[in-house]
Amino acid sequence: MQRSTFLRYLAAACVLPLGARPALASDEVTVFAAASLQTALEAIARLYRERSGRGVRFSFAASSALARQIEHGAPAAVFASADEQWMDHLQARGLIVPATRTSLLGNRLVLVVPAARAASVDLRPGFDLAAVLGTDGRWVTGDPAAVPAGRYAQQALSALGVWPFAQTRLVRAENVRVALALVERGEAAAGIVYATDARASTRVRVAGVFPADSHAPISYPFAVVARHDSAAARDFLRFVGGDEARQIWRGHGFSVR
Amino acid sequence: MLSALEVEALRLSLQVALVAVTCSLPLAVGVAWLLARCEFPGKTLLDALVHLPLVLPPVVIGYFLLLTFGTQGPIGGWLHETLGVRLIFTRWGAALAAAVMSFPLVVRAIRLALEAVDSGLESAARTLGASRLDVFLTVTLPLMLPGIVAGCIVAFAAALGDFGATITFVGNVQGETQTLSLAIYSLTQTPDGDAAALRLVLISLVLAVGALYASELAARRVRRYVGRA
Repeated sequence: MQRSTFLRYLAAACVLPLGARPALASDEVTVFAAASLQTALEAIARLYRERSGRGVRFSFAASSALARQIEHGAPAAVFASADEQWMDHLQARGLIVPATRTSLLGNRLVLVVPAARAASVDLRPGFDLAAVLGTDGRWVTGDPAAVPAGRYAQQALSALGVWPFAQTRLVRAENVRVALALVERGEAAAGIVYATDARASTRVRVAGVFPADSHAPISYPFAVVARHDSAAARDFLRFVGGDEARQIWRGHGFSVR
Repeated sequence: MLSALEVEALRLSLQVALVAVTCSLPLAVGVAWLLARCEFPGKTLLDALVHLPLVLPPVVIGYFLLLTFGTQGPIGGWLHETLGVRLIFTRWGAALAAAVMSFPLVVRAIRLALEAVDSGLESAARTLGASRLDVFLTVTLPLMLPGIVAGCIVAFAAALGDFGATITFVGNVQGETQTLSLAIYSLTQTPDGDAAALRLVLISLVLAVGALYASELAARRVRRYVGRA
């Protein structure tokens, strides 16, 4: 085609995208949240979009992975961790807005088994983990070196005196939802996940609930990330702690303060 | 200098990669022979299948292995019930994952080595009375050897570095499946794991560069052979 025609098409192509506007407000909020919060937070985000017209973009993973990404500059506006330690880690580096930090939710730690092998275990000091696992079975949880679920699991098993044995049969998953999936699949003989995860799945059964005093209280701090502080981010955070959201949290099995 | 965990990861990596390459070698030679010397219906399909691990996302390969070789899968379930053998969460499963991922590389190298062999030499041997097997063992194989070695070393390096297929299929089990890549990944998630992660990265780099250099040396020998023949 002629050069002038081509240039005209090119100019049109460059200008056209400017006319397209997203249906929602362009100040979408990016939220990095612990894997165990996925189902509930997505429900809350759907409600938030109806109420405010604002969209929410999520990245769900282990709190450890997310915190490290934020440390390296990931564009998150809000961070929700599954334990206080990872939030402290970011706060110590000045990466969150301390005034926005709230710890709204609680959870319980449970031992789950594949639904086909339903068993019941009384989780008290010195309980027989070997019986639950069988001769060569393994159990799975988030990596205790970093993932909150794994840390709570290690604390609980240490408090009950079975950690040395448990450690020899441990499979370290990336996050608690991957651990849940392995138990659902029947590949792992057992897993330690949150009560809310077990509740969300139909393919696992809760074999026992860990005593609340066998591990640090499970707490989910939420905060706005300093680098991407905005009115939109603070508004979403406020909504997450509001009455409508609290109903959703409770509906999924979280305890709300 | 290196913690026990790091030494274990290194030793496991080398063991898994070695098992992966040596066990896939016989099959790779057979498949390379089929692709280089034979014509049959479905040859293109076989070629495509062999090269799948090169183009598919490693996690997909790992997931497929999980579905097939996990204790609830068709092959894995049979292995578990009949032979009491379990691949998932074990170093043998890790070797299988690494073998599948590096298989295309071994096949390619062997096929290239095979195609570089002057078939005139083989025909000459046949006219002198040697059987087909004799020809393969005494003429073809020795001429292929440097090419096979070069390919194996590259495949070894590739098997060493596998991550996606390994973590999806056999998970992260310290002492059993936590190879160098998985150990580095775990350490990058830990609060103060950066120093240890860097150490392991350096080791991986040294191993990879060393392997590629050795492979290049072996490849040069092939060129000299071909030149002479």
